[in-house]
Amino acid sequence: MKPMLFATGLAVALSLSGCKLVKTQSADAAAADPIATLVSETFEAKLIPALSGKAVDLTTLRDALKSGLDSAGSQFGLRVGGAGGGWNFAVKGRGKVIVENRASKAAVAEIDLDGDGTADAILQLGPVVKGTALRDVTPLYDFSAFRDQIEYARLGRALNDRAVSTIAADKPLNGKTVEFLGATVLRSAGEKPLVTPVRIEVVP
Amino acid sequence: MKVSRRLLVSVCVLTLSGFAPSFASAADTIAIITPSHDNPFFKAEADGAAAKAKELGYKTMVMVHNDDANKQNELFDTAIAAGVKAIILDNAGADASVAAVQKAKDKGIPSFLIDREITATGVAVSQIVSNNYQGAQLGAEEFVKLMKETGNYAELVGKESDTNAGIRSKGYHDVIDQYSTMKMVARQTANWSQTEAYTVMESILQAHPDIKGVISGNDTMAMGAYAALQAAGRKDVIVVGFDGSNDVRDSILKDGIKATVLQPAYQQAQLAVEQAHKFIKTGSTGVEEKQLMDCILINKSNAAKLETFALKP
Repeated sequence: MKPMLFATGLAVALSLSGCKLVKTQSADAAAADPIATLVSETFEAKLIPALSGKAVDLTTLRDALKSGLDSAGSQFGLRVGGAGGGWNFAVKGRGKVIVENRASKAAVAEIDLDGDGTADAILQLGPVVKGTALRDVTPLYDFSAFRDQIEYARLGRALNDRAVSTIAADKPLNGKTVEFLGATVLRSAGEKPLVTPVRIEVVP
Repeated sequence: MKVSRRLLVSVCVLTLSGFAPSFASAADTIAIITPSHDNPFFKAEADGAAAKAKELGYKTMVMVHNDDANKQNELFDTAIAAGVKAIILDNAGADASVAAVQKAKDKGIPSFLIDREITATGVAVSQIVSNNYQGAQLGAEEFVKLMKETGNYAELVGKESDTNAGIRSKGYHDVIDQYSTMKMVARQTANWSQTEAYTVMESILQAHPDIKGVISGNDTMAMGAYAALQAAGRKDVIVVGFDGSNDVRDSILKDGIKATVLQPAYQQAQLAVEQAHKFIKTGSTGVEEKQLMDCILINKSNAAKLETFALKP
């Protein structure tokens, strides 16, 4: 999959070098940065459908976590790297935003899913987004296909940036009910999911 | 130092020659090659690997390359000549190590890399890499939080030949540079060294007495920087390290250094030996070559559980 993508980038570069006068900035940039190409070619086309297809409702996940992280993980999640990492989950949910913190550059909205007035999950609103859940939640992006962890991390960052650029990050959400789709990584059954959303919609 | 290293090697070789008469058991040796044990991190790695190898019935040949690729090359020759079954390696350079690992592979000896990766795939059997980038981001997020997202800071960078020095620095900046109110006023290498970090920190303090924080590429440099700050009466400066050493743990518990990031060195080395064992027995590890192992943020909330590069449950 990815070698093909890179090969396409290479083909573009080669064909461009053959016609010097019509080199364009964007094609140059794309050829020079396979990560950007990979993100633009896979984010909408593959990652979003994969997330929609396998997303587990956060309340369902919460119930499953009662029998342990590994059990919930093998049922709904994906563990990458073979060792030491957490379980990655594609998640969706609907809840009320009860706290919205825009003071930090790592802005977040805290969501109450069950109406008890306490936060059950945290949505990252950016521009600073933590973690690599979007990269790690599907088998689309395999570490072995990257030169080193810097390249692999650049992909994680690029996916996060793309995600927060597509959600309506600057609209005030406090007090509103929202539906969201995204990814999270859990390292213990008790932790509050920190979700990197790819979609947040205010429910009228 | 040099003497003790030679001694270590010769002790191992002696151990080996002791087994030379019964050839079969001499062959069941695993070589464990890491940077100098002066840094407790690498000692924990070697200890973890050796303990697991012993548990699985192997002899060990423990050697150190001191981040010198030529030395590493010689050690590979020694291991190959000794006919080891596998090599556990924390390498001396991402590019420079490829040839040595390939040489062993050509002789039918598989290598299992820990901690640092190399720039080629398909040469080593496993590369179990600390997710330094993820760890650096954890450290940087904590640093930014402690700094309240604003202020002047200095960065201490590790040894340039070590790929992780660059990876950590990049991970730090990937987070910190997103905050325009965080201003780096100095960035200098102290080559992973505590004494060097002390001197570097002294001069940074003179040039920039207004710094509010220091983010360091590893714990030994963080210790050196903290000592210099303490000597200058600047206990207000926030220091964050990387590695999860017992020294920094103790400092965190005494409200000195504020945070570090644990690389599970001991566990990682054990995992590499397990995979080597499986490969020796079955011809396959059953997992991908490149594996990322996550790092864990250590601050006052969990520092007490840290012991020799492992978190107690």
